[in-house]
Amino acid sequence: MKKRTVQKFLTLALSAVMALGVMTGCGSEPAGSTPESQGQESTPGSQESSRESESAPQESASQGSESTAPEGGSAAAGMEGWTAFADNVTLKIPVYDRGQAGIPDVKENYWTKWVQENFGDQYNITVQYIPIGRGNVMQDYALLSSSQNLPTILMEYDYDKLATWSEEGYLQTYDIDAFQEVAPTYYDAMVRNNQLVYTEMNNERYFVLAERPYYNTTPNFVTFYRMDWLRQVGYDHIPLNREEYLDAMQKIMDAGICEHPGGGAMFEAKGGEQTYDTRDFPLNEEEWAMYGDFNIPSLSWEANKRLLKRANEDYNLGITNPEYYTIDPATAEANFYAGKTYAYGAYMAPSMPLLDNFYSQNPDAELAVYTFVGEEQKTQADPGTGYYPLYRADNPFGMTIGFSSFASEDEIKAAWMYLEWMIQPENLHTIQWGVEGETYNYDEDGFEVAVSDYEGEYKMGFNGNKDYWCVAIEARNAGDMYDNIRMNSPKGYPQDFTDQIIGIYDLNVKKAELGYPISDALFAVSIPSVDEYRGDLQMKYAEYKDALIMCKPEEFDALYEQYSQEYLNMGYQSILDERKAAYEDGKTTKLPDNQKAN
Amino acid sequence: MEKKPKKMSLADRQKLFFKNFRHTWQLLVLVSIPLILVFILNYAAYPGLRMVFMDYKPAKGYDGSEWVGWETFAKVFKDADFHRALRNSIVFNVLGLLVSFPAPIILALILNELRYPRFKKVTQTVLYLPHFLSWPIIGSVAYTLFRPSTGLVNVVLRNMGLIEQGIPFLTEKYHWAVTYLLIGVWAGMGWGTIIYLAAITSINGELYEAAMIDGAGRWKRMWHITIPGIKGTIVTLLIMNMGRLMGSNFEALKVFDNSQVREFQYQLAIYIYQKGLSGNRFSMSTAVGLFQSLVGLILVLLADWVAKRLGEEGLF
Repeated sequence: MKKRTVQKFLTLALSAVMALGVMTGCGSEPAGSTPESQGQESTPGSQESSRESESAPQESASQGSESTAPEGGSAAAGMEGWTAFADNVTLKIPVYDRGQAGIPDVKENYWTKWVQENFGDQYNITVQYIPIGRGNVMQDYALLSSSQNLPTILMEYDYDKLATWSEEGYLQTYDIDAFQEVAPTYYDAMVRNNQLVYTEMNNERYFVLAERPYYNTTPNFVTFYRMDWLRQVGYDHIPLNREEYLDAMQKIMDAGICEHPGGGAMFEAKGGEQTYDTRDFPLNEEEWAMYGDFNIPSLSWEANKRLLKRANEDYNLGITNPEYYTIDPATAEANFYAGKTYAYGAYMAPSMPLLDNFYSQNPDAELAVYTFVGEEQKTQADPGTGYYPLYRADNPFGMTIGFSSFASEDEIKAAWMYLEWMIQPENLHTIQWGVEGETYNYDEDGFEVAVSDYEGEYKMGFNGNKDYWCVAIEARNAGDMYDNIRMNSPKGYPQDFTDQIIGIYDLNVKKAELGYPISDALFAVSIPSVDEYRGDLQMKYAEYKDALIMCKPEEFDALYEQYSQEYLNMGYQSILDERKAAYEDGKTTKLPDNQKAN
Repeated sequence: MEKKPKKMSLADRQKLFFKNFRHTWQLLVLVSIPLILVFILNYAAYPGLRMVFMDYKPAKGYDGSEWVGWETFAKVFKDADFHRALRNSIVFNVLGLLVSFPAPIILALILNELRYPRFKKVTQTVLYLPHFLSWPIIGSVAYTLFRPSTGLVNVVLRNMGLIEQGIPFLTEKYHWAVTYLLIGVWAGMGWGTIIYLAAITSINGELYEAAMIDGAGRWKRMWHITIPGIKGTIVTLLIMNMGRLMGSNFEALKVFDNSQVREFQYQLAIYIYQKGLSGNRFSMSTAVGLFQSLVGLILVLLADWVAKRLGEEGLF
């Protein structure tokens, strides 16, 4: 071959490769990984049906189930009535990508394939998992939406976010009768848990909701206290009130056990401020609806002022680490097992990295999550402060799920089928626990025990595949709460916390009878100013909070007034006004009688 | 009298064009690829800029989002946080330019004077290393070194009896400003010398020999040969740096963030991220980004004009 011809050939080949690279980079991601799904995406018919569902979402979702019963539809209610779709349907399901090391790829692993084989292949559905960054939920969905590539379902724990999505055109409405026909088990669970009231926004039906067992009494988040330190300073129990707490902390510092036992970590500008145990009780319902929100801190409200004043006192007494605002959450946790913090909280699980690390560094230490002392006092107001032991109850539902406005009627129906299939006990059990003898075993009481160090082919995702089955239920449910605790309490550590955690649950039940677990108000109308100002207020609050915690006690009141005014002017007043209007229009949930002031 | 060239007929011109094309089509194909890339990456997204005049909602797209005219700009320019971010960005970039820009020049001049090649190479490598460290690593090391009570530097200074209380390098806004700027210089200084060292190598060695024969010492040679020899490079880089006066380094600002320094740390990159992207206000982010780009462009053109007026070559 002539040299010139070779040069020409190479030039052409190089150009072709580069041009292909450019085109590949610019093209959108194929919607389906299988030839069938790609084929389906490209047919004009499927695009047309997608367009129809945008323009007339409610009709499309409801008509679909009626008119196409033979294809994935429901001649008979529930799974018995399902048949495979004639054309392959791509079902896109979001899954949280938590950036956690040591877990399988969230979008493709043994369990995603298991779903495909046991559900998708049965009904000619290609199940595709779409990773969503846990800390960037709104951004990720917005980016997917701008490329018209939203997952078929959108899901989040914060009801506010779902309200925003319904307001901004991300979601389509649906016909609950059609849903009931395709997914009767899921529907029945919603009815059983009194959740239908939460399925509507602005008088239109957008959401379905997963179950959250024992939402107001579950002790799934537990705080571990250094009981050995407390014993060293003369306490045989975790402090029962503020006076005891301050006394114990002072003694720990004086004894040289820990320089700043209160520890602390930077407050990130993401909301999540808990003002529950500084509220007046019983609650004023209007105030509760206006201020009582976990996500947007309630600076300018008395309960918030009390909370920050208490933190200011801790800081000025030296209980809190003076550099807490530079400590990120990972360092704060490391400080606990390095003996620089008296207490640290974590979600209960049979295997807990917090305890692994703690006991490896402190093998002889004694921790406690609950002490059986002063049971009466624990349900009464603190004699010093007058504050009741109120705490945050979660929403009476788990994941809130909406359906993409871009999805076709077949895709919506496939999503309903997916929810119904996932909630079936045998499917749920398999995806929650894995394979017997590999990822879990049964203990002598008949409870499943996860093999925490399992590294084989069936390795499960974060928290026992939770990010897959959360569309159905929020926790593994063994039956009653005692069984749940026995099943989920930490296993294989120098101390067994099961009885103590049961103690917390029993106390929570007593507190629930007294109305102490507080759920935030939920709004049946969107509150536009929440979306407008949420980010700014959360960011500003993080700044103000640190300034208020670190100021001199005598400066606190004046500074709090100043910041409150600025905060209200920045948009919080608009939120309060809109919430108040919604409350007065009867568009909010209501307080139960045992929480409501006359 | 000069003979006029004969005008070519259309057929001849076509013939010549195809002849040239036959000879050079490979080169044309090759050059088309970067041209397409430039077009796609730099210009194809421009129509999307219309979102600055819309209340853009991703799910509604461009067709469904509402036109709001200049409202987004009006909102941004009225926002007190934008004023704070703009002020901080300008102040820190000007300070950064004053501190960071001369540092690599001085360092390159010093490196050029090193006589032992091996020592020079090792020194250069050590100086380049910070460029390859990510900002999160630099941030965590900096906090470990500079925390007021537990930071290594403060512990050492306290143990030596030089200070009683820890210096709040990263936890008090004025200390933070100095530390932040100096860490920026440290991270970029070594890498910045590469272009100047390359420019220095292009200076004719005979000039140095002649100067040495005339009795010029190191300072004289540096002042009268090296610096004038790299003046063009300095001016070009200065003009390019002017375009970054409105920018800010999000990563660096984020890792050095804490509530006590936010008054200075809050710059345009943070503003765009927190108010715009995190709040799903894409129109707002784009408006601020566009504003930054336009101001940057004006500054570059202005600097180029000034450079040309002063007899330098400029960029364009």
